[in-house]
Amino acid sequence: MKSPDKFYLRTENQEGRCTVFLNGELDLETASQMRAAMSTLVELSDRELVLNLRDLRYIDSTGIGILVSVVRARHAKSAPFLVEAIPPNIRKLFDMTGISPFLSGSSPSSN
Amino acid sequence: MLIKDDIITIFVPAAAEYVDLARLTLYGVASKMGFSFEEIEDMKVALSEACNNAVLHAYGDLPEGTTFSAPDEQPRVEIRFIKRADSLSIVVKDDGSSFDAAAVARNAESLHGKAVHELEAGGLGLYLMQALMDQVEVSSGSGTQVMMTKRLSKSGEWA
Repeated sequence: MKSPDKFYLRTENQEGRCTVFLNGELDLETASQMRAAMSTLVELSDRELVLNLRDLRYIDSTGIGILVSVVRARHAKSAPFLVEAIPPNIRKLFDMTGISPFLSGSSPSSN
Repeated sequence: MLIKDDIITIFVPAAAEYVDLARLTLYGVASKMGFSFEEIEDMKVALSEACNNAVLHAYGDLPEGTTFSAPDEQPRVEIRFIKRADSLSIVVKDDGSSFDAAAVARNAESLHGKAVHELEAGGLGLYLMQALMDQVEVSSGSGTQVMMTKRLSKSGEWA
């Protein structure tokens, strides 16, 4: 039933940096796909992990919950993580929920 | 009251793959009413959060000795759009396990001011519903009902 292009991600590896481009709608239906992809990517502690949201059209608390897990996992490994190219409608949700400070790469608090 | 509210009701199976169908229906209803793009985006997220909860709780805690696979009827979610002259109310109703939704609603919490190790995703859905809509009422009995309302702003008119 799920259309193949509802959500997909593409990974680009450069030196010291792994960028994941998210495309489409990240919701309850596509969350497992995102979770599976992130579970291996968060382990890459020798490089910076970057999520590029330029082509992400939709996110809700399901997707934000996955970002929370990624923030926590990367922080536990002292491995850098940041989110870039956040569209305005998604930025609004990040600001509302209070996750924004944890996505900028510099940790808002050290504990 | 002489003018009756127009009501549009859809039923969808309580499954994740139908939540986007609810969003599409909302888009049609809300854009015809004259809501702005941003207001519709807000409502899409709020409606999805309510549907997510309905889907996740649809099968509930099963009684001892019963099996997951053979419900008499496939669980479904009712979504009702109540159009008024100056507002849109969306009702999301399920017959799932009646968890204490009202208590959860009181505990809806954001991540503001938290340290990394305190971050938790639980409660964010209801927090967003409350932040994005003008009014949210959660009630549970046999199943859960969420009613949320967005007022139509009159930005294009002389108020």
